[in-house]
Amino acid sequence: MKRWPRLLVFVGAGGVGKTTLAAAAGWLSARDGARTLVMTFDPSHRLRQTLGVGAEAALSEIPVAGAPGGRLRASLLDARTTFDRLVERYAPDAAARDRILGNRFYRTFSGSLAGVLEYMAVERLFEVRAAERYDRIVLDTPPTREALDFLGAPRRIVEFLDSGIVRLAFRSWFDDSGRPRLTRRLGPLGRRVEAGLDEIVGVDLLRDMVEFFRAFGPLYEGFRARAAEVERLLREPETGFLLVAGPGEERIPETLYFARRLREHGCHLAGVLVNRLHPPLESAGPWPPLLAFLSRRDGEGFRLLAERLGEIPLGGLPLLGDEPAHLAGIERVAGELETALAGLG
Amino acid sequence: MSKGVIAALANGLVFVTGKGGVGKSAVAAALSLALAEAGRRTLLLGIDPRENLHEWLGVAPSGGERLAIAPGLVLESLRPRLLIDREVETRMPIRLLARQLLAHPLYHQFVDGAPGLEELVVLAYVERCLHGEFDVVVLDGAASGHALGQLLAPALVAEAVRGGPFARLAARLRGLVSDPRRCRTVLVTTAEEMPAAETFELAEELTAAIGVPAALLVINQLAPDDLPVARAGEAAPLVLWRRRLARQQRERERLRSGWSGAVTELPWLPLPRGAALAHALAEWLAAAPEAPA
Ligand SMILES: Nc1ncnc2c1ncn2[C@@H]1O[C@H](COP(=O)(O)OP(=O)(O)OP(=O)(O)O)[C@@H](O)[C@H]1O
Ligand SMILES: [Mg+2]
Repeated sequence: MKRWPRLLVFVGAGGVGKTTLAAAAGWLSARDGARTLVMTFDPSHRLRQTLGVGAEAALSEIPVAGAPGGRLRASLLDARTTFDRLVERYAPDAAARDRILGNRFYRTFSGSLAGVLEYMAVERLFEVRAAERYDRIVLDTPPTREALDFLGAPRRIVEFLDSGIVRLAFRSWFDDSGRPRLTRRLGPLGRRVEAGLDEIVGVDLLRDMVEFFRAFGPLYEGFRARAAEVERLLREPETGFLLVAGPGEERIPETLYFARRLREHGCHLAGVLVNRLHPPLESAGPWPPLLAFLSRRDGEGFRLLAERLGEIPLGGLPLLGDEPAHLAGIERVAGELETALAGLG
Repeated sequence: MSKGVIAALANGLVFVTGKGGVGKSAVAAALSLALAEAGRRTLLLGIDPRENLHEWLGVAPSGGERLAIAPGLVLESLRPRLLIDREVETRMPIRLLARQLLAHPLYHQFVDGAPGLEELVVLAYVERCLHGEFDVVVLDGAASGHALGQLLAPALVAEAVRGGPFARLAARLRGLVSDPRRCRTVLVTTAEEMPAAETFELAEELTAAIGVPAALLVINQLAPDDLPVARAGEAAPLVLWRRRLARQQRERERLRSGWSGAVTELPWLPLPRGAALAHALAEWLAAAPEAPA
């Protein structure tokens, strides 16, 4: 990787070391003089542990003590906190804000609504980018079921906002007695439909959901505008993706799938990094049988992946004796990462 | 005298979870093989859209159909979405209406967006399977964060939804996941610093969420300590391996001493993902006593 992008996004399956490598990249970037922010969405708060910042990093960007030049900051994302903040910031008035924050649907689900974490990642990214306090942002993507769900989050939100469900919410669905209006107008047939709906989801639930969407009304326009911006941002030439993969042949299909999805999205894939490779064993041994097995597995896997990736640059990082759990260890990983990135060309 | 690990997990829902890549699917496959071998009617249920459990059992993917693997062992890869559609079809009073509803974009948006819906549907399916058809359902759960969502969904929905069938279903399923005789969580980890730390975090959150501690901790992928005594000028890979083994030992001790429930260990075997590995791990589990830490 010759030129570092302004926004560097780490993607990959869970447990391959994205968070650690993102921290290491932030460290390198700060060392080279760029004001850098590392953002992570790891709910286990691993980065917090690694960078030695406290829970306050969920609320603001915290300087990382001991990082080179004092130029590294870290921020953790918590879906609930970001969501609340968003509502507070963009609600047109106090009444609108309180209506959302007080909705039982919102209270229970704002942290766990499908896609909320991914979407919040995108919102927060936008917020930080717009403030222009940093020369570079390193983003560690959230562990999603489908590891690239994150990419589609802005578009899904926009589609959702443009969809009928929201417009429907603005129609008056329920009459004053709290009965669904549409089905009532249909007479006896309507009552059967209503009974069917009630049987499946429950009319009360529908009423709460409609109320929730309605309370959200004033925020829609802003959501849409920002989501479109972020979508653009993810495709900019100034944004680069690094795909982190685990070693071994078994992981290759998943890695190729991610690479393809990134390309389909129009994202710039700076390279693939295979993390935690067991060392090659040059001499005949004797070696512990498990070490010999893993060394062969990782060597073969790497060779095959290089073949299958074609033009896409590929690098590898060795398994370290000590897993970096603290900043001291990060320096060592950063060294390995620098070598691997230089190899990406 | 404690009974074996397998006997302690012999009925109800066995929910296998842990950090990404630590061996959840390996353990779920091995557990279900061992349970079936012990004579329990076992369903191994996968919900991962990547669908890889068949590889662990040495069969071809079935595209959603149930597969009979061995006497007493059935494998199924569940697509929660299809279950929801089927439910609507059977419940809607008018067939034509049901079909129109299923084809409507609004329906898709609702189903995609409704929080907790997929989770509830999966648990409802498990509940149904346990109703006479199977003694035990082993669920190869998603990684940590989503696993918590899976077990929390009934409580959340029960709390947020007033009345109606959803609320009733959620309340019933909350009863299932918080009943230690009908639902048992198996946490899988490796003896490495990050996964171990995350395991303790997850264990705590789980207990807080459903009020029941995990039934079993599996320390997976333990490398055998078979190195000769260290010599000066040793080859670099050996030095590294020694270092890893020392780390592993430290984390293993930390896990064992910090864990108050049952623990079992599985070796790191020099085998690729597949049926041979699953069977080898199943034999270990079948022989494992349920050892309190
Ligand atoms: N005891 C073991 N011995 C040897 N290899 C193992 C063992 N346990 C797991 N593995 C290997 O580790 C890798 C990950 O295992 P597995 O797929 O079961 O993890 P997982 O937790 O289900 O991952 P994911 O979070 O991606 O679903 C596989 O390649 C598997 O073969
Ligand atoms: Mg798995």
